[in-house]
Amino acid sequence: MKWSQFFNTSIGKKLLVGATGFFLCSFVLVHLAGNLQLLYKDGGKAFNTYAQFMGHNGLIQFLAWGLKIVIVLHAFIALQLTIRNRAARPVKYQVNPGNQTSSWFSRQMAIMGSILLIFIVVHLAQLWAPFHYAEMPTQSYEGVSEPIKDLYSVTYALFQNPLWVILYVVGMIALSFHLIHGFKSAFQTFGLNHSKYNGLINFIGLWLFGIAIPVAFAAIPVVIYLNK
Amino acid sequence: MEHYNMNLTLKVWRQKNKNDQGRFETLQAKNISSEMSFLEMFDVVNEELINEGKEPIAFDHDCREGICGMCSMHINGRAHGPWEGTTTCQLHMRAFKDGDTIVVEPWRAGAFPVLKDLTVDRSAFDRIIEAGGYVSVNTGNAQDANNIPVEKHKADLAFAAAACIGCGACVAACKNSSAMLFVSAKVSQLALLPQGHPERRTRALNMVAQMDKEGFGSCTNTGACEAECPKEISLTNIARLNREFINAGFTSEK
Repeated sequence: MKWSQFFNTSIGKKLLVGATGFFLCSFVLVHLAGNLQLLYKDGGKAFNTYAQFMGHNGLIQFLAWGLKIVIVLHAFIALQLTIRNRAARPVKYQVNPGNQTSSWFSRQMAIMGSILLIFIVVHLAQLWAPFHYAEMPTQSYEGVSEPIKDLYSVTYALFQNPLWVILYVVGMIALSFHLIHGFKSAFQTFGLNHSKYNGLINFIGLWLFGIAIPVAFAAIPVVIYLNK
Repeated sequence: MEHYNMNLTLKVWRQKNKNDQGRFETLQAKNISSEMSFLEMFDVVNEELINEGKEPIAFDHDCREGICGMCSMHINGRAHGPWEGTTTCQLHMRAFKDGDTIVVEPWRAGAFPVLKDLTVDRSAFDRIIEAGGYVSVNTGNAQDANNIPVEKHKADLAFAAAACIGCGACVAACKNSSAMLFVSAKVSQLALLPQGHPERRTRALNMVAQMDKEGFGSCTNTGACEAECPKEISLTNIARLNREFINAGFTSEK
């Protein structure tokens, strides 16, 4: 079986979705660590110098563009699989088992992924695109040679509007539900199902990626809004 | 358990042939004993239909002792009905109460076309087996069984995978109509044993390719197949199939 055939099989495509999914999980972790600096009460020094570094470091920028390609790949292949999966049952059942035979989360991957994709597009348009391609107010800090873009204040201004706060919280609920099944599911796709490790994988998938990370992300707009 | 009789309302899928649209028909099943199996209840209903000069309901069945894999009804949204680890023929009417309405549908999958009423064509499974679900054995005297040492634990796992009767409940239960649990059981029972090793790479590649060709969906690891499997085939087999397939795909020379 050639590579082109291998990655065109159902399992081959799932491997690509799983691998890109793992990469996105690692991104989510790094992104959260950086973003939590928004909650420092230092006039934005830590966050803005961090954003300045991330926005201008060659390696980071290379990875950032790779990340966007990975998101598109992940969504595109998952969409292909979903269309095929729906087509595999041309006549539906009148009675479905619901939660009796599978978890609700495991059946909502395409829906949650779609909400998440919409959120990502809005998020990039609101904060990433202006930061890179538009004029933005600058701020000078002690120990920093030049005035740098004040993404901190722009973000604070954005979250004065409760509608954006709600959108970001909804996006993180979708992230939570997507990862509660997605993280552990990717291990199974890679064939990693072993009684010695399943407990740890399920724990990290549920509590770290499914709950802690989305809650911490969602806390940022909520805290900013409540402290206005 | 106390015996009781019950009257039931059945909503059964009726379809003349492959090309017919099909529809639900509502029937009354009267005076059904709690000791009957689900298929015996259908026998009673069919007797009555025949007496009335009507067409009986077509359904698959053979051994009626839970080992042949022929019976295949989707009962109230559950493959093989509400009991765990049970085929339809081993489902007893004591699972239901007097006055219940029971919806009975055929397995729903594009790869399992309905032939008539509740009977579906599962020859897609046969073609997957033909693609690699075997070991090639040269003719001649069989060698002594104990010549090939097999670790007890692996023998047990192989045996558990070999319990698959190919009924298709996994496909019926899966929201994607995926055949992964079936294929994984067939690949696993051979991959776990030394006799299966010489052909393990081509087996995994060919069986998965055939599975895709038949139009089954892909696995999204929901676990519905494992929950419905009358032989309680484990999801760990699907992980093993994935390992076999990855290993074969990355190392095969063709």
